[in-house]
Amino acid sequence: MKVALIGAGQIARQHLACLKSLPDIEIAGISDLSPAAAEAAAERYGVSAWFTDHRAMLEKIRPDVVHITTPPTSHFRLARDSIDAAAHVLVEKPITSTLEELEILKGQAQRGGRHLIEDYNYVFNQAPQRILEMIETGEFGKVTHIEVLICLDIFGPDGFADPNVSHPALDLAGGAIADFLPHLASLAHRFVGAHRTAHSIWTKRRNSILPYDEFHAVIDAERGTASIGFSSNSQPDGFWLRVYGERMQATANLFETRLTLDGPRNVPKPLRSFFNGLDEGRTIRRAAFATLLRKFKGPGAYEGLWELLRRTYRALGDGSALPVTVNDILEVNQMIEALKPKEPK
Amino acid sequence: MKALVTGANGFLGRRVVLALLARGFEVRAMVRPATRLDQLDWPASVEIFRADLRTSLDLKRAFEGVDVLLHLAAVVSGGEDAQFSGTVVGTERLLDAMAATRCRRLVLCSSFSVYDYGATHRILDENSPLHQLPDIYARDGYTISKWWQERVTRRHAAKHGWDLTVLRPGFIWGPDHSYLAALGQQFGRHHLVIGPMTRIPMTHVENCADVFAIAATSDKARGQTLNVIDGQGERIWSYLSDHMRGSGAPGWRLPIPYRLAISIVRLAYLTGFRNATKVPSILIPNRLESRLKPLRFENRKLRETLNWSPPLDYAKCVERTYRPAQRPEVPVEPAPLPA
Repeated sequence: MKVALIGAGQIARQHLACLKSLPDIEIAGISDLSPAAAEAAAERYGVSAWFTDHRAMLEKIRPDVVHITTPPTSHFRLARDSIDAAAHVLVEKPITSTLEELEILKGQAQRGGRHLIEDYNYVFNQAPQRILEMIETGEFGKVTHIEVLICLDIFGPDGFADPNVSHPALDLAGGAIADFLPHLASLAHRFVGAHRTAHSIWTKRRNSILPYDEFHAVIDAERGTASIGFSSNSQPDGFWLRVYGERMQATANLFETRLTLDGPRNVPKPLRSFFNGLDEGRTIRRAAFATLLRKFKGPGAYEGLWELLRRTYRALGDGSALPVTVNDILEVNQMIEALKPKEPK
Repeated sequence: MKALVTGANGFLGRRVVLALLARGFEVRAMVRPATRLDQLDWPASVEIFRADLRTSLDLKRAFEGVDVLLHLAAVVSGGEDAQFSGTVVGTERLLDAMAATRCRRLVLCSSFSVYDYGATHRILDENSPLHQLPDIYARDGYTISKWWQERVTRRHAAKHGWDLTVLRPGFIWGPDHSYLAALGQQFGRHHLVIGPMTRIPMTHVENCADVFAIAATSDKARGQTLNVIDGQGERIWSYLSDHMRGSGAPGWRLPIPYRLAISIVRLAYLTGFRNATKVPSILIPNRLESRLKPLRFENRKLRETLNWSPPLDYAKCVERTYRPAQRPEVPVEPAPLPA
């Protein structure tokens, strides 16, 4: 399968490293507005052709799949061009700036018989996948509620709050936090389904160039409820996922490998909390070592992206169901649309 | 003559501006849009041009009336991609703008990091081997971006027929920048000193700025690549002593022979860290080498080409580094230009 990539920045390196590890994939071209960035990425990953004009690349390479790893506001235009060139498109999150753009892309992809995929990498991290497997087998029971909370300091001058150059994500409604909404919404959607109603609060606690630094929301969805949030002020950094089922409860930190489970236990009720504590302590100690070892090999916190790409290419190869369908993408983005601030700052 | 200095408010850049003024240049200082100027001790004659090389659309205007560009801007913090974008893509955009102007003279601030220390034996000078493809991509973000910055600049200079001087400073030190990566590994107030007798390829910031000002005018510098170090360099152990005494930060120093350290790191790397994504650079053999490999460092070419000797000796540099209150406001007295 012939693959091309548009945008040679930070996240592109994760895509390229993963693609190099997959069988039957030829990375045929890389495009970036900067010749140096395109050439460096091509050299590093042994790609024979690099371009500064994505249209020239699409015409010359005729790729089967295009990965779009550019800043968010360019996704729509580049995805349209790629689908026009008869390629399946895998787009970094957020897939488009608006729901209208996504609906246009969806229609265009369906008319052309092409697939459209948005990167929901954290859904494919080991911890959520383990919980999903337990739900599938019935061990976990039906999910009643899910909480997802990202605590991340995004005030650093090297990132979203660069005082010299406006970060591309600040062009999105909600600013820097909008860049994380697909992570929150895709996890909520995977566990409790499409939203019916959603209520969000966007606030700002600190004086900075960010329009908002806190976001919290509650969602009523098809199969349960969700509470999702992003805190720029709460420290230390963490990506907390809590899933409440009818038989079990799970807690994971997706920035680490920690996953603790609490469920039925064959001990007298007064001793439950004692054994739970011992069990949880053992699990957290094991996770601490696993998180340390994860730094020494493989993609680290991007493990979900690698898993998503592996499943995607397997599905594209054998025609089976994709791990992220266009309907998933539409429902996730409808949820995001409902969560966006009503009056953009 | 009029000089455009990028990265002008940086540690080196602010002294280069003063050194150029001392040599009679008019100076246009390019600083980022959010830079505060009240901390800079520049006279009012310095013209300020605010721009960010990553995004500014009007870089061509910065070259109006400019005879020579001193390109010092580089991003030295943040991740590898932030450094590449800021340093390399920024350089591409700057030089694309220069190509549309009449400015033909360029002095680039490169770095010792472009040399392949692993392939260098005994003496490191301008003839020492540089990093090669594809091994360069196994290096740290700073090394990759400086190597690429030099590559991009040389390509532009060759394409447009510019007079290019590439200056490669060693470790630049001075007030508030006296703890060097060459000193080993710091643990709180304490130091693991790897190869305590190794000499540091170093240049005091005021001496280094002096070289840049000379290179901007000297015909002999055109087309040259010059390493910028003040001399053979101090030994790590004694420099660290001066640093600890000067900065008033006492601590323990634990010496470890370089060969023992590199052997341990190589063994650890082969058995466990090879595919590591987030390991301190001191635990990666080629990065440890580039900080600490015991070599001899020469500045003969710099001395002979520019007839240069450092205006400040080591004792004066120490004094000006650790007693900034007593530092004179005027820059180093310029040495006569080479004949």
